[in-house]
Amino acid sequence: MSLTSFLPAPTQLSQDQLEAEEKLRAQKSYSTALVASRREPPPYGHRKGWIPRSLEDFGDGGAFPEIHVAQFPLEMGRKKKTSNALAVQVDAEGKIKYDAIARQGQGKDKVIFSKYTDLLPKEVLNEDAPGLQKPDEEAIQELTEKTRAALEKQVSQKIAAAMPVRAADKQAPAQYIRYTPSQQGVAFNSGAKQRVIRMVEMQKDPMEPPRFKINKKIPRGPPSPPAPVMHSPSRKMTVKEQQEWKIPPCISNWKNAKGYTIPLDKRLAADGRGLQTVHINENFAKLAEALYIADRKAREAVEMRAQVEKKMAQKEKEKKEEKLRELAQMARDRRAGIKSHGDKGGEDSEARERDEIRHDRRKERQHDRNISRAAPDKRSKLQRDQDRDVSELIALGKPNPRSSGEAQYDQRLFNQSKGMDSGFAGGEDETYNVYDQPFRSGRDMASNIYRPSKNIDKDAYADDLDSLMHNNRFAPDKEFSGADHGQRREGPVQFEEDPFGLDKFLEQAKQHGGSKRPSTSNRSKDDYHDKKRRKE
Amino acid sequence: MTEDVQKHSVHTLVFRSLKRTHDMFVSDHAKSIALDDESHKLKMGVKLKADYDAVLHLPILKEGKDRASHLSGSMEGHQNYAQPGEDESVTACQMCFQSLLEGGGTRNSALMRRAPTMPKPQWHPPWKLFRVISGHLGWVRSIAVEPGNQWFVTGSADRTIKIWDLASGKLKLSLTGHISTVRGVAVSNRSPYLFSCGEDKQVKCWDLEYNKVIRHYHGHLSAVYDLDLHPTIDVLVTCSRDATARVWDIRTKANVHTLTGHTNTVATVRCQAAEPQIITGSHDSTIRLWDLIAGKTRATLTNHKKSVRTLVLHPRQYTFASGSADNIKQWMFPDGNFIQNLSGHNAIINTLAVNSDGVLVSGADNGTIHMWDWRTGYNFQRIHAAVQPGSLDSESGIFACMFDHSESRLITAEADKTIKVYKEDDTATEESHPVNWKPEILKRKRF
Repeated sequence: MSLTSFLPAPTQLSQDQLEAEEKLRAQKSYSTALVASRREPPPYGHRKGWIPRSLEDFGDGGAFPEIHVAQFPLEMGRKKKTSNALAVQVDAEGKIKYDAIARQGQGKDKVIFSKYTDLLPKEVLNEDAPGLQKPDEEAIQELTEKTRAALEKQVSQKIAAAMPVRAADKQAPAQYIRYTPSQQGVAFNSGAKQRVIRMVEMQKDPMEPPRFKINKKIPRGPPSPPAPVMHSPSRKMTVKEQQEWKIPPCISNWKNAKGYTIPLDKRLAADGRGLQTVHINENFAKLAEALYIADRKAREAVEMRAQVEKKMAQKEKEKKEEKLRELAQMARDRRAGIKSHGDKGGEDSEARERDEIRHDRRKERQHDRNISRAAPDKRSKLQRDQDRDVSELIALGKPNPRSSGEAQYDQRLFNQSKGMDSGFAGGEDETYNVYDQPFRSGRDMASNIYRPSKNIDKDAYADDLDSLMHNNRFAPDKEFSGADHGQRREGPVQFEEDPFGLDKFLEQAKQHGGSKRPSTSNRSKDDYHDKKRRKE
Repeated sequence: MTEDVQKHSVHTLVFRSLKRTHDMFVSDHAKSIALDDESHKLKMGVKLKADYDAVLHLPILKEGKDRASHLSGSMEGHQNYAQPGEDESVTACQMCFQSLLEGGGTRNSALMRRAPTMPKPQWHPPWKLFRVISGHLGWVRSIAVEPGNQWFVTGSADRTIKIWDLASGKLKLSLTGHISTVRGVAVSNRSPYLFSCGEDKQVKCWDLEYNKVIRHYHGHLSAVYDLDLHPTIDVLVTCSRDATARVWDIRTKANVHTLTGHTNTVATVRCQAAEPQIITGSHDSTIRLWDLIAGKTRATLTNHKKSVRTLVLHPRQYTFASGSADNIKQWMFPDGNFIQNLSGHNAIINTLAVNSDGVLVSGADNGTIHMWDWRTGYNFQRIHAAVQPGSLDSESGIFACMFDHSESRLITAEADKTIKVYKEDDTATEESHPVNWKPEILKRKRF
């Protein structure tokens, strides 16, 4: 009845048990198996003649000292290309030391935090917990002294250059050391077992200048290996937060280097149009309303005015009509009165009518004479218009003198009964028969033609113009070259004697009616010969 | 029937009893004792119950499968089965069992032990503003209090160093000499010296008896951001934007050590008498603990994710805290073991200061001050003081803060060109300002 029968079976075997089991297994396999399933080295004592050749032959351990063959367990010791692979190290509890990577260049005592547990907060300790207490005064003082000494030494080295040269300080050179060498024998040290060595500090020359040049600039050495970064893992990003950080692509309003065609809404996307509210001053609305009101009022006023005027005009028209009616009535009455007197006065009425017509015409003539007498130069409006050219009248927009109430008829419509040749004129386009009367029936043609009078220069040169003209006092003796020998004009346009005989040519053409060819005429032949002669 | 007892000598009696015993047992001397079944059974039962009771009914462990959770489960099991009067043997057995199961790996105490009882934070009275001192013409960047607690010094962006009376807040003296912002000031408690460093690469030593500069420490290649004096050795340590910290001998102005290793601006440096003697925090988000004798890094702490702008050493404990924009972290000396995070002040922390009562103050770049209980990390107060009238609201930021030597006044140097002095509110009690402690329960929240 042992304790082990009560307790549950252990889950992890202790190291001794494991070894024992393995040994049993090895023995069994060695004794019974024909072919060893696992290559185990033979146990101690049975290794004669056996040479480990491969990695598995070494099993768990290292080289076999009794086998006099070069052995490389775990490939250690072979001359190979340098690799900076770290050997796997295991700590005291059997766990692999993964922070060997972080500790590569450092001493094993250096404090490096690389584990996850270094990142976790520790339990809140009481104030007087031992871990939180400062080291005691003595320790601190000791440290202070040590530090002070070290710093002093450093400082003195640094300022040694500035210090004045002093006499060499004497060191007591009385250090003797007794030394027992390991190699002993008659040959070494002439048989003596021990040696005594006298240690003297080498004298420093006080006048010696510095031995090494320190003004050289050399590049800095590599920094110490970086410490593992003990950051807490980054927070999880929610979809919402990722959406918040989305930046839309930049579409410039000014540049388009690659010439992309981008729809308008994307071009204006970054404009911020939707974000601003447009503020319109309310005075605009007020202005618009005021304009509407003003417009309406004006229209009303105009309408009212128009109506009033219309009424006034109507009233006047009525009045006039009344008057006319009265006149007509009077006239009718007169006529009727006259007629009622007797029909014998019929001839008298004609004579009277003729008289009336003569009277009217005399009146008109008198009227015109009066006007011309009153202001002979001042033309009346009608006369002015009469003097104007047709194109001028059209430009001025003066009404056609003939435009009267009577309807204008196209001349081509008249005399339709004449036949085919009439009106339509046989289809000839060249006949200009739109108008039956000229615009200005030639009454002012004469006046439009320029006819200078002999006395045109009277005001400038007085009456003795001829004598002045034929005065040779101012004629130069020598005239300019190329001066024109043209004579004085006597008319508006002075025609030269035509050198080419075109007048005669045209007369002939007219005479012959265009039927004869001009080349057949003699005259032209003569002209042609004349021309030739002249050239020759 | 009585027999006459024969009178022998003691020797005879002893020898006789010896002989008799020998005769009795000589025959079955080598034989093992015969097992009495009943007694054995009884003994076994009692022993099992006493020693191995908890272990008897365990399920079979599977190798390498979620040991931690299972262990905690097994811990629960432990609790269930443990007798009310637990004796040492049970705990010893527990330990043995644990060691058996774990195979002897390193133990994480937080996981292995029972969930610890939540520590209750100590109550601290809240702090309130009681004086605003204005006089500087630029940001006030640094503060130092005289060892005799009579006056304090401030360095500012207007290139002056001003000395103010602590009790009344009146200006006593103005020192000029720097060409650019004065980033750090320190008053020596071993000699009448004031040290100042600025963005003009100058480190000056002022003699306070003559109010003059007597020494310059030349060597920094860029703006010097902070300086500190060693408490016991006459050595000054300055840190700079050229990623180095330099150790100067005060008397000879020699640059004893140049502490290189940081890859970005070294923003803050602290000195102490115990190991490690110099601690620096840098904008490359690492903290380095240095060995002053050798001038080499002892340990590098890379836990921070953002620049470490400030460090503070606890006056009595062997711990320190570092402040950065992501977190304030507490560490243990001498190796820099991480203790805990103080999270909640989500701003760029420019300065930290700690009290003997365990009040940690963190001042940020946006003008907020958070007050923490050092031991538990409980944030018991948040202050955002209003800016000086005439300043913009964005001009609120705290560049330096310091407790005076009596630890009753907190002096802060601010970006609205004022110096604000805070004191504890005497009228507050535990009932009026209760502790609202809601820590993460049981399992420390995983990030």
